Amino acid sequence: MMKKLATLALAAFAFTAPARAEDKPAKVTVGYLNLVNAQLVTKHLGLLAKEMPGVDIKYVKVGGGGDMLRAIAGNDVDFGGLGNPPTAIGATRALPIKGILVINLLDYVESLVVRTDKNISSLKDLKGKTVAAPFGSTTHYLLLQALKDEGVDPASMKIIDLAPSDIAAAWLRGDIDAAWFWEPNLDKAVKNGGKILITSGEMTKRGYPTWDIGVVMNAFAEKYPSYVEKFIKAECEGIDFWLKNPEKTAEIIAEELSLPLPDATRMMKGTGMVPCNKQLTEEYLGTTAKKGKFVDTLVSTADFLAKQERLPKLLPRADFEAFIQPAYLEKVVGR
Amino acid sequence: MAIPMSADRTQRRSWRPPTISRSMLLSTLTVAVLLAAWAIVTEMGWANELFLPKPQAVWAAFVKTMTKGYQGATLLQHLGASLYRILVAFALACLIGIPLGVVMGVSKNARALLNPLIEFYRPLPPLGLYTLLVMWLGIGESSKLSLLFLAGLPGVVISTIQAVTSVDPVYVRAAQSLGANRRHLLFHVYLPAAGPLILAGMRISLGFTYTVLVAAEIVAASAGIGWMIWDAAKFLLSDVVIMGLIVLGLTGVVLDLMMRSIAKLLMPWSRT
Repeated sequence: MMKKLATLALAAFAFTAPARAEDKPAKVTVGYLNLVNAQLVTKHLGLLAKEMPGVDIKYVKVGGGGDMLRAIAGNDVDFGGLGNPPTAIGATRALPIKGILVINLLDYVESLVVRTDKNISSLKDLKGKTVAAPFGSTTHYLLLQALKDEGVDPASMKIIDLAPSDIAAAWLRGDIDAAWFWEPNLDKAVKNGGKILITSGEMTKRGYPTWDIGVVMNAFAEKYPSYVEKFIKAECEGIDFWLKNPEKTAEIIAEELSLPLPDATRMMKGTGMVPCNKQLTEEYLGTTAKKGKFVDTLVSTADFLAKQERLPKLLPRADFEAFIQPAYLEKVVGR
Repeated sequence: MAIPMSADRTQRRSWRPPTISRSMLLSTLTVAVLLAAWAIVTEMGWANELFLPKPQAVWAAFVKTMTKGYQGATLLQHLGASLYRILVAFALACLIGIPLGVVMGVSKNARALLNPLIEFYRPLPPLGLYTLLVMWLGIGESSKLSLLFLAGLPGVVISTIQAVTSVDPVYVRAAQSLGANRRHLLFHVYLPAAGPLILAGMRISLGFTYTVLVAAEIVAASAGIGWMIWDAAKFLLSDVVIMGLIVLGLTGVVLDLMMRSIAKLLMPWSRT
């Protein structure tokens, strides 16, 4: 509602003020995921406010991909972040967003943990066991992909849908034998009779990368293109800070997520951060002329979800290529 | 004065069949208007299809889930899983709640002993309770049944207490003066007189059980209408979500109708 009023006010202002090249948004809302990445650094150091003086900046913490999709669909944010399965869902359901920035890669912050006393040394040993994963998340996707690759029928085990905090509780009770999920709860399972069988980073090497991408609402990008660049610039500064000052970053993350410092350090190391000038390579976003491998990941994720009947259809590759928009980042890094 | 009134009454009685069909007509009208509004809003493109799909899309989701199923179970299997949970929990709530309510209604001491418990947990939000239940009982069927049971119990207990305490003492004294003992009183005075009110409480309690179904099936379920709704919402499949809600609503109405007709058979004197 406030947002609508703000747009109205802006529209009125646009009529009275002399024509200018581009208006300034009154307010920018950034939805950020409850994850360990450099967005926390950007937020903590107020880098976005420095880029956008006079703009009211609001950060909203969003629990997971599903909630972020709802926030985007409800036009509650200007910028957001999404993992590849929710991104594939959003792009297929034609949500008005574009992917503009790699916010993090998922390495061992996400892992498949198995009970040490159950003699599970490969995915085949999961037959007849109870395995948990939050459905619709990156780890649910990786679990099913990994099983498929090793020729293990998912129906031969009991795969259940649990939120990360519930997985930790169920693990401590002994209700589940394995789970693919993420920090900070992952550590509780490892410390209580668990060992890690596969990490999400290993799945990247097998050709199933998982990542989170920064997105912007189309309407905002059309109206304030230079503010999209300012946003990217601030996030890039955060990424650079992360890469150059690991100790200080760990302190910031510990404070932002109320975690003990050793946990924050471990989670940081398990998260991949890509410097902005590298994001325009084949491996990641690619360039406007030639989009990178992120498109491949989106296509294969969407294909997987469509086969699971969680998406009504698989869109042509061109739609996913149109979703990835490196143009803003290209301007920021000066290509 | 008395004559026109009775005339009025007989007249009304003779007009009864039309009034019933009239109320049915009005109810049908409400449904028809809602459906028409839904169709118009979606056909004209006034609503984002992501949030409000067309009625045809919801129907298609229904047909598909009936025949092919949703994530490994057909609609009837999902419905069966949910109804099993609801009915078992509700039956337990009645089996424990009604005797408890009768005892608390008849005996002031029992009421004083048990009231703190019931009054304390009754207003607790079910989701808050659920996290504890999952920790205590695990992620299996028992925590789901307990949550549904706890949601249904207070309605039955409280309405039974109220029903028993509001039994006209004249009935009790009349029965006692004819030599009725406590057993006679219970089965021939208290229960029959309190029956209709207890039944009203049972209907409300079934409604409460229904309201926590989705919450109960969020944790580690792989079948059930509540789980289906929850899962589909994650993937923005709003046609499945709306279809699930309609199915849930309709089964609720059917269950309520069944309870009312059973009550009419058992207690012809009840007016529900």
